[in-house]
Amino acid sequence: MSNSILERRDFLKIGATGIAASAVAAGCATVAAEQKATPLVSAAPEPPKPTPPAKPAALARRVLGRTGIEVPIVSMGVMNADNPNLVKAALDGGIFLLDTAHGYQDGRNEEMLGTILPGRKRDSFVVCTKVFLKTLDRGTGLFSPQTRGEEVAEKLDISLKRLGLDHVDVLYLHCQSSRGGVLNEVVMAAMAKAKQEGKARFIGVSTHKNEPEVIRAAVEGKIYDVVLTSYNFKQDHHAEVRKAVGEAASSGVGIVAMKTQAGVYWDKEKTQPIDMKAALKWALRDPNVATAIPGFTTLEQLQSDLEVLHDPALSPVERDALQPREIAGLFCQGCEQCLEPCRQNLPIPELMRSYMYGHGYKNRAAAQSLVLALDLPRFPCGDCDACPVVCAKGFDVRERIRDIARLREVPREFLI
Amino acid sequence: MTACVLLAMLAVVPGAGDVGLLPQVAGWKLASPPARYTDENLFEYIDGGAEAFLQFDFQDLVAASYVNAKKIEVTVDIYHHRDADRAFGMYTQERRPGSTKMPGGLEGIAAEDNLQFVAGAYYVKLALPEGGDRSLLPMFARKIAAKIPGRREPPAVLQAFPAKGKQPRAEKLAARDFLGHAFLHDAAAVPYQSDGAHFRLFVVAGKDDSDVRNMVAAYRALAKLAKADVPREGLATLKDPLNGEVLLAWKGRWLWGAVDDPSPQRKTLVDELGRNLFKR
Repeated sequence: MSNSILERRDFLKIGATGIAASAVAAGCATVAAEQKATPLVSAAPEPPKPTPPAKPAALARRVLGRTGIEVPIVSMGVMNADNPNLVKAALDGGIFLLDTAHGYQDGRNEEMLGTILPGRKRDSFVVCTKVFLKTLDRGTGLFSPQTRGEEVAEKLDISLKRLGLDHVDVLYLHCQSSRGGVLNEVVMAAMAKAKQEGKARFIGVSTHKNEPEVIRAAVEGKIYDVVLTSYNFKQDHHAEVRKAVGEAASSGVGIVAMKTQAGVYWDKEKTQPIDMKAALKWALRDPNVATAIPGFTTLEQLQSDLEVLHDPALSPVERDALQPREIAGLFCQGCEQCLEPCRQNLPIPELMRSYMYGHGYKNRAAAQSLVLALDLPRFPCGDCDACPVVCAKGFDVRERIRDIARLREVPREFLI
Repeated sequence: MTACVLLAMLAVVPGAGDVGLLPQVAGWKLASPPARYTDENLFEYIDGGAEAFLQFDFQDLVAASYVNAKKIEVTVDIYHHRDADRAFGMYTQERRPGSTKMPGGLEGIAAEDNLQFVAGAYYVKLALPEGGDRSLLPMFARKIAAKIPGRREPPAVLQAFPAKGKQPRAEKLAARDFLGHAFLHDAAAVPYQSDGAHFRLFVVAGKDDSDVRNMVAAYRALAKLAKADVPREGLATLKDPLNGEVLLAWKGRWLWGAVDDPSPQRKTLVDELGRNLFKR
């Protein structure tokens, strides 16, 4: 290792931020996340607070942004459940935030909840529903000029009747995918009215497409208290979602994660199930996520989610269980559109491959061998203030190159 | 003319779904090329509602809008499922009890501005803007149904449920996770009301008698009963931690019983249900 730029002791000093420290960092991540999961404080006027639901011991909870509602970190996506006994079991187990929608099962999902909720103390549960406006163009994510704000109120009234309640806790504008949709003035006025009239204590938007744009628009709109967003380890753009989620949380917008289970299976043939607990815990590692709403339809799944509620730490084994798709997410497709803009003529596809070896396969030795063979300048990317490269897969190329290039200095025996 | 061109274009696109089921309707044209959704992107169209369709082996969806000279728009969604039982099952998830049979013998629901029906392996949903002419939807439904092959009747197993006390047109099918248990699949349940008692009778169709005995064994384990060989046929009352007392009978590839209100009337009806299953 005589040609190493850094000696071992130097490597050890910087290791905490580098690739060789990633396993340690992963182990610490959950602890750090939980420590950071402090209630979010908002400058917005506080609405009247409900009496918090009875708190079972030892269940992890976080505050849902400026709503001030303290929720268990695992909640229930009711959309597939048609068995009221399962919902009762969830409520009895400490999962008291229930997520449904006006359109689920053509309204029967809300009706099913309506057989349970009216008999319970109103402050013992939190119910969220969503309205989809039929003038939303799903292609553009924009509302047509014919959009009537009254549709929000009409659908909400029907939902309240089905639920047997006089208000919901959160009313979402369903299925948003663009800034223009979220900030539509007619729709915003209708949502704000629902809140003013007390039919919805809080309002928000739900999104599973162009999430970062929608989340940021919700912050910009200022009237939205909560965002329900897709957020899972399989999203190619989950880093960008995380960033937007952080921005929203800083603004006091409560974040609820959905689709955390990422499609349930790795493969289209549905032969390789994803580790559901691991996938759920992955989303909950982000302290800005107040709660997640996995859908469950069996007692076993409920028990599994309750276990996460009691122990949300992602173990090393669970982290590994999420690994295969992470590798796919690291895969450079070799389109080479990065080559021309790079001012240093770096072999970016090879460097991305090396990054995948190191971070995906955890084969640091192979990653180092490849990097050493590339004859890189001493400080790749070091001379560029801004990187002109735009990766087709959205990789932060400069960051990855800087990260992986440091492997040249790692003593070989550290990599075995 | 436009409709013909659009349909012709889609007809040659590989994997374009069941666009051939979209009828040509005089005075109406397709507003835009029909969209096709598969199990991988259905959620883009109906968000979280997609999960229920996937449970019933959803294959694909053709979504189209027709428009006439007055700019009235009728939306047509044709959901294709694996088979007629699965399509009917999805329909029962959304049907409200007591809905009436539609003209032409179609099993469906008609409201002011929407209409849903099931035919063969297809579950079809039609919608009108508010204040639209209500006669339009049955007209579209008849034309679409005429193009759909396959049976019009509900799954045969539903005929086994006794008539006395049965709530009309309230059957519900479950492809999996019946009663909240992963080991119970392919089930049908019907609500009953008898002498003030409310309960459901159910039938679970196993793949074979071994499959059914495995279900019974799993149920026994859940109820914390001691391990024992499950005979080929039997009758038992189990304490289900989720659903309370469940009356269970099984024989061959059938498992049937009653759940909810544990009234004495259940036993008589469960016996009759069992006899009917083997009479068919």
